Amino acid sequence: MKKILVIALVALAACGFVFAKGASEASPAAEAGPKPELTTLKVWYSISGNNGKFFESQAQAFDEAHPEIALELTYTGKYSDTATKVSAAKVSGEAPDVLITAASQLYTGEDGNFTIEEDVKDAEFKFDDIQTGVLEYAKYNDRLASLPFGISTQVMYYNKNLAKAAGVDLEKNPPKTWSEFVTVASAIQKASGNPDVWGFDTSDGVWLIKSMLNQNGNSVVQMKDGKIEPVFTEANAIEVADFWKSLVDSKLMPAGQHDNAEKKFLAGNLVFVAATSNRISKWAGSTDFELGAIEMPYFKKQSVAMGGSTATIMATDYWKHDASWQLLKFVLNTDNQTAFALTSGYLPIRKSSLEMADVKSYVAGSELYSVAIKQLSYAWAYTHFAEMGSMDSFFWYALDEIERGVKTPEQAFKDASASLVAEME
Amino acid sequence: MAKKLKTRGVNRTNWVVFVILMLGSLLMIFPFIWMILSSFKTVSDVYTYPPKWLPSSWKWDNYKTVFDMIPFGIYYLNSIYTSVVQTILMMGIAVCGAFCLVFLDFPGRRPLVSLIRSTMFVPMVVTLVPMYLLVSKLHGVDTYAGIMLPQVFSGFTIFLLVSFFTTIPKDLCDSAKLDGCGYFRILWNVVLPNAKSAMSTAALFSFLGHWKSYTWPLIITNKDKYRTLPIGMKYLVQESSSEYQVMMAASVMAILPVLVIFVIFEKQLVKSITLTGMKS
Amino acid sequence: MNTGKAAMIHRRVIFGKSYDTEQLHAAMILLIPVLVSIIMIFIVPVVQVVLYSFTDMNINTGKWKVTWFKNFQFLFTDEKFGKALRNTAVFAVLKLVFDTFLSLGIALMLDTKIPLRRYLRSSYFAPVVVPVVASSLIWIWFFDPGVGPLNQILAFFGLKPLQWLYSEKTALISILMFSVWKGIGYNVMLFLTGLQNIPDSYLEAAKVDGATNAQCLFRVKLPLLRPIMNFVVMIGIINTFKVFAEVDVMTPKGGPLYSTALIVNYIYEQAFTRGKMGRACAASIILFLIIFILTTIQSRMNARKTVDYE
Repeated sequence: MKKILVIALVALAACGFVFAKGASEASPAAEAGPKPELTTLKVWYSISGNNGKFFESQAQAFDEAHPEIALELTYTGKYSDTATKVSAAKVSGEAPDVLITAASQLYTGEDGNFTIEEDVKDAEFKFDDIQTGVLEYAKYNDRLASLPFGISTQVMYYNKNLAKAAGVDLEKNPPKTWSEFVTVASAIQKASGNPDVWGFDTSDGVWLIKSMLNQNGNSVVQMKDGKIEPVFTEANAIEVADFWKSLVDSKLMPAGQHDNAEKKFLAGNLVFVAATSNRISKWAGSTDFELGAIEMPYFKKQSVAMGGSTATIMATDYWKHDASWQLLKFVLNTDNQTAFALTSGYLPIRKSSLEMADVKSYVAGSELYSVAIKQLSYAWAYTHFAEMGSMDSFFWYALDEIERGVKTPEQAFKDASASLVAEME
Repeated sequence: MAKKLKTRGVNRTNWVVFVILMLGSLLMIFPFIWMILSSFKTVSDVYTYPPKWLPSSWKWDNYKTVFDMIPFGIYYLNSIYTSVVQTILMMGIAVCGAFCLVFLDFPGRRPLVSLIRSTMFVPMVVTLVPMYLLVSKLHGVDTYAGIMLPQVFSGFTIFLLVSFFTTIPKDLCDSAKLDGCGYFRILWNVVLPNAKSAMSTAALFSFLGHWKSYTWPLIITNKDKYRTLPIGMKYLVQESSSEYQVMMAASVMAILPVLVIFVIFEKQLVKSITLTGMKS
Repeated sequence: MNTGKAAMIHRRVIFGKSYDTEQLHAAMILLIPVLVSIIMIFIVPVVQVVLYSFTDMNINTGKWKVTWFKNFQFLFTDEKFGKALRNTAVFAVLKLVFDTFLSLGIALMLDTKIPLRRYLRSSYFAPVVVPVVASSLIWIWFFDPGVGPLNQILAFFGLKPLQWLYSEKTALISILMFSVWKGIGYNVMLFLTGLQNIPDSYLEAAKVDGATNAQCLFRVKLPLLRPIMNFVVMIGIINTFKVFAEVDVMTPKGGPLYSTALIVNYIYEQAFTRGKMGRACAASIILFLIIFILTTIQSRMNARKTVDYE
């Protein structure tokens, strides 16, 4: 019995220790000692499949060119799995040195780590060459906390066979605004004569609604006195919510089936689908029908919300940080970024990429990719902040309620806004 | 005797029961048939409406695609290795625990029962982070020990064994006691031989539990060298969620060997059930 | 050596109760691995979970300050938590009923004289061996309202197609179907092992006394299955309240109108999507208490009815 007590006490002491240590080990300031012979970098990324392999090959080229740096590359799964893994690792001080995933800047930004602002002054990096819009996407609370890596936007894909059957030529006369779009989409839907065919859906409603809000002059959230506040209860936002509802009411878009939208599209049961631009590399040539794309329709002004991943340096040790910067500088140089973009369907982040002959000929030859490139000129980056994950889940829920008619669009958005305010307290 | 076991209760073949069970078993294995057939389909077969049951041409490429996408072999071996070792460790601990609870009287027995039961109340999702903290302090990240040790204790297995151990007649132990056996010999010579079927069932269950385990191995490993099959499967889903046919090919490969192991194991299981049946 | 000792029993009094010293020594050695693993795997993490539950611990930053009962306060007013509790209750009751009674029936049927017994037994157990990631994919396909075979089958019988996972009315039931299919083999196996462990002599004795099949079932088999039954129900309560993976793969984000989110899905969302580790820990303490209360009630009820099988 005594033994048990002793063991229990030791264990309690041990967990007290673990607890205290885990909490205090946030960011010890690194003292730059002499440069070590070999710096090993932990690189975690959530770029999957062939795109991931391509990134690995670039990273390996870097590894070979730098004998003093060794890379440990880890694919950490999709964004949410990566978030789980990084969170657990960060709390226990095992965080990676370089992290490439969606909203990677949250991990550095929340610690007030904006060292990347100094890094980008490196002349070799040619910071001015990065497209300004894209750069916004890498910020946290309006300060640079990461670098854009694999940037995508939603593209409006469509089934050309269905369009042709309805006698509509979208290449010549693409719909510009959402009201034009609704007219065209329902015409094609009706012409198909098939009750299983829907006019429009998106695989990511939350992403699309952000674009729509911005198109109608709403910025979703704004910084006020150093604090984030939601603004999507303003009149111009409610208009968007009402429009969303009308898509369902007019039987153009099915209610609550976004997870199934891409499958439906591939099965030929959907005329238009708004999906990420890196489906281009995956879908082009593999669909049973002819695949087309148009620029995203708009309300007052053209705008598409950016998505995708950013790269951040979590290493706090001086030399590790330095090596991490060398790596990012390498994979983000014009040649490598362009090659990555062309392989993956992500968008080039440098102005110089667009001037390259490779890119020009590729864009000219690909109807789909040229749409994505055109959209880059008005792509919009929403503000990143700590409760962004929460906001997205509130939006998801609000859209679901609107589509299923449980709440009025106005009420759903107001509730989402109230939840977000409560979450940020 | 063994024949007797099969026919006990009812002496003639019960055809009504047979038909009911056959219908039920069709429902149970239908998804497997679908899976196997679909693993040979082409993309357009998958997206046809109404659904096609048979592939239009038998496409073996789907299997090749799986190997192109993930290091299937390494993941497989890791899964087998970690599952087997974890099962052995878990069974060792569980047998010790269950034996104490059933056959020994000691202070704190009741609180221990509640404690063991409580270990089952907490979902893995919440202990994930504290566990990671602990394991990383002990340098367990990216090691087999780090994958396995946090999962070797199972209240489920202990209670499973407890409920089977209680069915072993107490007089068997008492007479062994009178013959001068110590408790370790009673455990080894009396209890374990009499609980073979329970042991096989428990071992099978814990093997399957480990075989499926996903979240923990994902969090605790960074290198392909240590990653297990469910992680690979999950990556495939993420990469090709709209390519059902490739997923099905991967599923077939993930499942078939386990089914084979199970069928072999099941033979053992039946044998041991027969043995215990005869003894009593 | 041992023979002399066996006859005489040494006893020792601890906390006013007397124990056999030999048993004490055996227990002390055998319990070492058990206690060590409980402490490392259970107590250490759980103490932290309890501590976190009184803080606003954020998982993304690792920062925290003590907020006492604010997390619990939030949970009791959160609409989603209420929904998750209700979904869990519905799901748990239905799954428990199916898992227990259906599997008992199947096990009893498998324990009779029928052809192809080995095949049948394996077929009921087969779904258990499949990783959830793989089997859920098959079922997601089944449930697909467009290209899935289930709606095709409904149409064949002249029935209206269903939205399955995409409607708040059918989503939880669909997941339940999948979950029962996947898990029933466990219980069938457990009951079957229990049935086979019933000594032949008992049934023969009953037969000699002229018992009918029904009497054999209700007077001999079922009472003797009690310990296994208790076990199955206890584990059933614990496991159904902890269901997570099925729901997470089939309907991420809680499904239509949050109709499929169970407590553990809620906990996961709070901790890893929203970063609120403290709140997630508070929710798991509530989950812990619920399971604790239910299993305590269940074991109390059993204690009264325990059958002596000697």
